[in-house]
Amino acid sequence: MISEKSFASYLVAPSIIVLLLTTTFPILYLIWSSFQNINLAMPWMDGFAGLKNYSDMFQDKQFWKSFKLTIIYTLSTVSLQLIIGLGLALMVLRIPKAQWMFRLMAILPIVLAPVVVGLFWRTLMLAPDFGIVDFFTKTIGVGSFAWLSEPKLAVISVIAIHTWQWTPFAFLVLLASLASLPTDLYEAAKIDKASAIKRFFYITLPLIRPAIVIIVIIRSMIALSAYAAIYAATRGGPGTATEILNLFAYRTSFLEVNFGYGSTLAVFILFITITVAAILYSIRKKRI
Amino acid sequence: MSFIKFNKKNYRNFIITFVATFILLIWILPLIWSVFVSLKSEIEVLAYPPNIFFEPVLDNFKAAIFGSLSIISELIDSFIIATITTTLTLILSIPAAYSLARLNLFGKKKIGFYVLATQMIPPMGLVIPYYLILGKFGWLDTYHGMIIVYMTFSLPFAIWLMVSFMEDIPREMEEAAFLDKASRIKTLLYIIIPQVKGGIAVTTIFTFMNSWNEFLFAVQLSGNKVRPVTIAMYNFVSVEQTLWAKLCAAALIAMVPVIIIGLIGNNHIVKGLTLGAVKGGGRK
Repeated sequence: MISEKSFASYLVAPSIIVLLLTTTFPILYLIWSSFQNINLAMPWMDGFAGLKNYSDMFQDKQFWKSFKLTIIYTLSTVSLQLIIGLGLALMVLRIPKAQWMFRLMAILPIVLAPVVVGLFWRTLMLAPDFGIVDFFTKTIGVGSFAWLSEPKLAVISVIAIHTWQWTPFAFLVLLASLASLPTDLYEAAKIDKASAIKRFFYITLPLIRPAIVIIVIIRSMIALSAYAAIYAATRGGPGTATEILNLFAYRTSFLEVNFGYGSTLAVFILFITITVAAILYSIRKKRI
Repeated sequence: MSFIKFNKKNYRNFIITFVATFILLIWILPLIWSVFVSLKSEIEVLAYPPNIFFEPVLDNFKAAIFGSLSIISELIDSFIIATITTTLTLILSIPAAYSLARLNLFGKKKIGFYVLATQMIPPMGLVIPYYLILGKFGWLDTYHGMIIVYMTFSLPFAIWLMVSFMEDIPREMEEAAFLDKASRIKTLLYIIIPQVKGGIAVTTIFTFMNSWNEFLFAVQLSGNKVRPVTIAMYNFVSVEQTLWAKLCAAALIAMVPVIIIGLIGNNHIVKGLTLGAVKGGGRK
């Protein structure tokens, strides 16, 4: 005979051991290296660095620029996904016959590898004298744009690419949530002659709030770890125009082989992610 | 056929259908256009404005499969890594999820929180230490190295996904107060697992897809001996000129597995995505 408690621990133990070894240990190693000088270009300098990497970071202009860009990128992609996804879900709800097609097609951007998405947009959509977007803007007479090589446009482009790929996620979750709402509330509201806008803000929105919060949580986490699509589309450029913190940490570590400072940047990304997650989860707990 | 009355409602429905279809088109446009381009010859590709009517050729697909630009070995590498990662993830996550969801586990809340926390680790926080650690072991550019790294994102996600499915099984299924070890294991194998087949399908789909599509770890921790297919894609544009048509053909071949899984497993994916959300926030 074996007690339920010990059986339960046997079942969970292998996973926990694997997670401790494969995630917690590397994170501790990362934190340790953030206090070290580890620079493959200057190996003779290696050793304990104390808080130097951290003080360097807060004085680094590129760090602040990348941090600001990360905030802009995360806020704009998450809110665009939410707004477009909700708008589309509300629309598709009204055309029940075509719903299956929207559900099916929405899967396509989601399953594609972000690196392929970045490459497709860089070539098929945005490339001058080749891409569809370029062809479209020329046709309607506004001319050609350097979507990926003009700094401001490049930022807009990488935001658009992320939004393109992940709005279907918000759409699918919101559509499922909207479809599961009880209809009797709406009947009652109609009898009370509540306007469509009132019905939306006083009935629909509070009811789909859990879905919205979940979308914001998941999408923020993903936006904060975005890497492949931007790397494929712009490599962080032109210059460092689209270099969000992930790409900056990557360049520092693997191209400038300054692993100490790179680790410090990664620790900061970890810190931001944990903070955002903590805030969002506490918002979720506060629900009615 | 009756005449459509252009009253207010019809008019509104028309606008809604139009706008929704337009957004749908934008979603599928890059993919459809990549199919067109992949069927063009390198000369035809550069025609501007682009032709919609042209003689389709299979040269690019041939090059991507048999030719000098073959991605077959990359496909095999991705398949090996994704399959082993998925298998290991299932073997580890199912018992763990069962324990977390249904058994009287010591420190359940803390363990659940720990798993959730590991799921949130940004990949940039792992790729740097892994580069240094795997380098010390000489495990860079190896299958086992890549599989270990892929477990970091697949295992926590799979445990949470399976927990939500396990919680849906009715309680009466296991009356399990006093059982020996053998019958406890039998309960899991013959009563619980058949009940969560759908959940296992969702977990398999997501784990396989995420491993297949991964790029950051692949590009930095492998690339010479072991080359996942996402890296091969990137190499089509990193050389001097972009091989547009060949890139499209290779990318389509590389994405065929996930596109097929996505379209066939459509309902499973939506379920996986919406699980927590529709139930009103999932786990508390």
